[in-house]
Amino acid sequence: MLYGVGVDVGSTQTKGALINERREIVARSLIDTGANVSRAAERTFDNLVEAAGISRSDVGSVVGTGYGRYKVTFGDTQVTEISCHAKGACYAFPNTRTVVDIGGQDAKAIQVGEGGEVRDFSMNDKCAAGTGRFLANSAEALGLTLGEIGELSLQARHPVRLSTVCTVFVESDILSYLAQGKRVEDILGGVHAAIATRTVSLMHRVGLEQEVTFTGGVSRNIGIVRALEEKLGCPLNVSDDAHYMGAIGAALFALERAQSGIGWAA
Amino acid sequence: MATVMTESRAEAYREVIEDRAFPTVRTYKEKTGRAAVGYFPVYTPVELVHASGMLPVALFGGGNQIELAHADSRFQSFVCSIVKSTLELGLTDKLDCFDGMVFHSICDPARNLASVFKRNFPDKPVEFIHFPQNPGSPSALAYLEGEYQRLVGVFGQWSGHQVSDAQLAASIELYDRVRALLRELYALRAASPERLSAVDSYVLTRCSCLLPPEESVPLLEGALAGARALEAKTQDRVRVVLIGAFCEQPPLDLIDSLERAGCYILDDDFQLGTRFLTDDVASAGGPPLRALAESYLNHSVHASVKHDLRKPRAAGLLDKVRDLHADAVIFLGAKFCEPALFDYALYRRALEEHDIPHLFLEFEEKMWLYDRVQSEVETFVESMLFS
Amino acid sequence: MSATATFEASFHDVARDLMARYYEEMTQVAKSSTPRAVHLLIAGNPVELVRAFDLLPVFPEVNDLQLAVKKKSLPYIQKAEEMGYSTDNCAYVKADIGLFMSGREAGFATIPVPAVVLCNYVGCSVYLHWFEHLAEYTNAPAFNIDVPFVRTPDGEPRAEDVTYVVKQLEQLIELFEKVTGKKFEYARLQRTVELSSQVGELWCAIKQLTKQRPAPFDAYFDAVNFMAPLYALRGTEECLRFFELVYKQLHEKAKLGQGPLPEEKIRYVIEGPPPWPYLRNFRELFSRWGAVAVASTYSTVGGLWEFGFKHDPAHPLESIAQHMLKENVCNRNFLQRYEQIGRYVEEWGADGIVIHSVKSCRLFSAGQGDMREYFAREKGWPTLLIESDLEDPRYYSQAQLQNRIDAFFEGIEHRKLTHV
Repeated sequence: MLYGVGVDVGSTQTKGALINERREIVARSLIDTGANVSRAAERTFDNLVEAAGISRSDVGSVVGTGYGRYKVTFGDTQVTEISCHAKGACYAFPNTRTVVDIGGQDAKAIQVGEGGEVRDFSMNDKCAAGTGRFLANSAEALGLTLGEIGELSLQARHPVRLSTVCTVFVESDILSYLAQGKRVEDILGGVHAAIATRTVSLMHRVGLEQEVTFTGGVSRNIGIVRALEEKLGCPLNVSDDAHYMGAIGAALFALERAQSGIGWAA
Repeated sequence: MATVMTESRAEAYREVIEDRAFPTVRTYKEKTGRAAVGYFPVYTPVELVHASGMLPVALFGGGNQIELAHADSRFQSFVCSIVKSTLELGLTDKLDCFDGMVFHSICDPARNLASVFKRNFPDKPVEFIHFPQNPGSPSALAYLEGEYQRLVGVFGQWSGHQVSDAQLAASIELYDRVRALLRELYALRAASPERLSAVDSYVLTRCSCLLPPEESVPLLEGALAGARALEAKTQDRVRVVLIGAFCEQPPLDLIDSLERAGCYILDDDFQLGTRFLTDDVASAGGPPLRALAESYLNHSVHASVKHDLRKPRAAGLLDKVRDLHADAVIFLGAKFCEPALFDYALYRRALEEHDIPHLFLEFEEKMWLYDRVQSEVETFVESMLFS
Repeated sequence: MSATATFEASFHDVARDLMARYYEEMTQVAKSSTPRAVHLLIAGNPVELVRAFDLLPVFPEVNDLQLAVKKKSLPYIQKAEEMGYSTDNCAYVKADIGLFMSGREAGFATIPVPAVVLCNYVGCSVYLHWFEHLAEYTNAPAFNIDVPFVRTPDGEPRAEDVTYVVKQLEQLIELFEKVTGKKFEYARLQRTVELSSQVGELWCAIKQLTKQRPAPFDAYFDAVNFMAPLYALRGTEECLRFFELVYKQLHEKAKLGQGPLPEEKIRYVIEGPPPWPYLRNFRELFSRWGAVAVASTYSTVGGLWEFGFKHDPAHPLESIAQHMLKENVCNRNFLQRYEQIGRYVEEWGADGIVIHSVKSCRLFSAGQGDMREYFAREKGWPTLLIESDLEDPRYYSQAQLQNRIDAFFEGIEHRKLTHV
């Protein structure tokens, strides 16, 4: 049996996926990246091989992706997470034409072709406004965890308006609203709406074609999912594996590479 | 705070100027069957539009009334808000009541915006005016007169009505009257700011470039009479000149909160285009277009978008502070507004040289919370009142 | 390939020597008691007129980029910010003013105090502010040449615009006469314009060479090395000799099928100024994909010669006016830039467009999202928008840029693989 491994080294977490030649996911791995990026990549690989109960030599090819992709030194090649998310999203939902991905530092919209290839993509500006970081800072300002805020935002009755989607200034806006006695749920409603608006604008850049698949860590936040669906007026595909989408896409590239010998140049 | 317009009237006009569906423009068009032309800040020769039988309307972006959902995919995060919100109004069909749009050579983003408008709204006429940036040159007058001549032709095409000198003279007279009233309004505020708040003055000024001049003249006359008759007590406040917000406009509540923080704003450069010309155009003499051009070049305000090497703007600011007996200067610049932010460096240098207290503030039209700004102003005021 | 194919061009060394001599002269002028320096700007510059009076043109933008390439710009930017300039102001201006206020010792040269602050206002509104400030700090005589923006439907300047600019040039001549104490010589101007015209013709021919496959040089990363002599020295004999050499050598390379990279895999058009503080690193992000720029808008800031414009020595002032009014990318409107890029893609045969959006220069960047939209959606051409700065090193994020550039070329490569 031939296997492909994808290692997605992100700024906070490193994700891994191992698939077999029937394109089935055999193992997943999720660890904190920590200071030593290469170590995190190696540990991910070890975890995958161990969980699948195979030997390292069974792995036909390894593809690294994510910001730390060049630290996957044992990998055969690197592919950006943009291509990998597109590939992964089309694997999970074959009718995907638009992929939206919100990560810790980046937000991206990708237009994909029928084979999961990237037709066009657009990413947030240089500033991290409207990314996962914005949510994290908002949660912190309210003394909540990232896991709590999505549900709470759904209970907003009169969502506030934020002056900013700036990750730096959002905190003082939130404090002002708390001082005015606004409900936490309403503040969170405003925070989630602001991100959704920003994300929809990003999606307009590549054109909005259905189906839309939402990937990346923030897709686990139900508040963002609902806010986006409302603004887009269409349902979003969200996979249980949303967090692993980059790694899965990388593993698919690895498998194809092992099968055909065709790979990326860089 | 003492107010000229009764609470309900002020509210009504606040709503009128904040309504991005432009109800007054739509009504005017239905009633008269005439066209309307929207123009981007700062200054436009409204007389040329008016004489062509169309209503010139100053557009000041979306304020904090709209959400940017499309335009920020066209203009980057480091471009000021008014450029984006104006495009957003277009992309969300809010500008469909305008039969043409006018932009000017005030800064690079505004200039590129004219092109972006052209591409995105191919059926809407878009005009671009290049104002001379060498007003001291003996050739500038002929150039600008020629530019106005060109525009008369363009606007004539838009309205289907070629303009005569008599019509131009009539429009100039009408707008001279509007400008004279605005000068009186500002003079009144500078002399007795307790009679007219900055925000009420703002609303009136805004009406003067939104409503037809035939309507804004009586409105201004009434407000002036009301303010003059008002009995109001002077409060112990810092008397400031405000500068920097000539293009993108701060939210009304921000203007209000500046005064409530303990200032009298004796003078400002909000909506500067309405008061760009400082004398009656008619008094410049000569044919109408030459008089308009002459006024722009030689009888106009200092402005960050008009570069006149004969008249340094920092010196102009110092004169104003002296003439109005102001205690301090508040610089209120729009985030990412390069013309304003560049000028600040020279203002600061001059103000420090002359020991004039000053406060630097940045705003965005889409602001919704003013706590930070207000507490800065309060601190500034306290430092002055208790020093 | 045969041994003759390893042809080594020398023009990069010659350019370096030329610029070194130019900076030596600048330092001499700075140290001498006779003021001879005219500070002016790159966009559509009228350098012929400056040279005709034996004045030395000083381009703060060129000094700025030198500072940035040598990684010395940041302290000057910070100096200006301490003076009250905003983080959102153009960093070219800040670096220049910071340098001016810190003793004018740039390392590569001493920057002279200007004899004339000449603002050739060609498109860029920031120019007006910049030189107004420079005049304020130096008390030097200042002159604005107001160049009306291209704004009519046919995309041509009006006859009145040409007259207006010519009249201002005549006023400038009077100022130069006053400052130098020399009488204006029409024949001298005709000669500098003649030299300029010949250089323009060569530069145009050089730019046509990148239509070949492989392109003999990179029309962005290599072209910038020709731009400094093109602006600082245009109108001189040595500039003409330099461009003759460049043309000869590049023509030779083209004949031999040599390019800047071992293999040209992707051809792209690039829009926007380069990130000078990280130029080498930035180039590497493209080279590793075998990507070569076949045309760039940035190389047309000072003048747009590749579509056939030539200065005319028979009408020197009129042709300088034409050059300022429409034969440069800055004074043309934004949609004319779309057209220019479109021509590059089609006539130079490119696989995609890279838009490098720099925060400092809003003339270039404001609205590039719309430009991306036009090319990607309306034309269906692969188009990438990336962001950094031309002078401020704090605005460069290598990881972010690499991620986007890699993804873009992955897409282009995939397209090539599947369309074979």
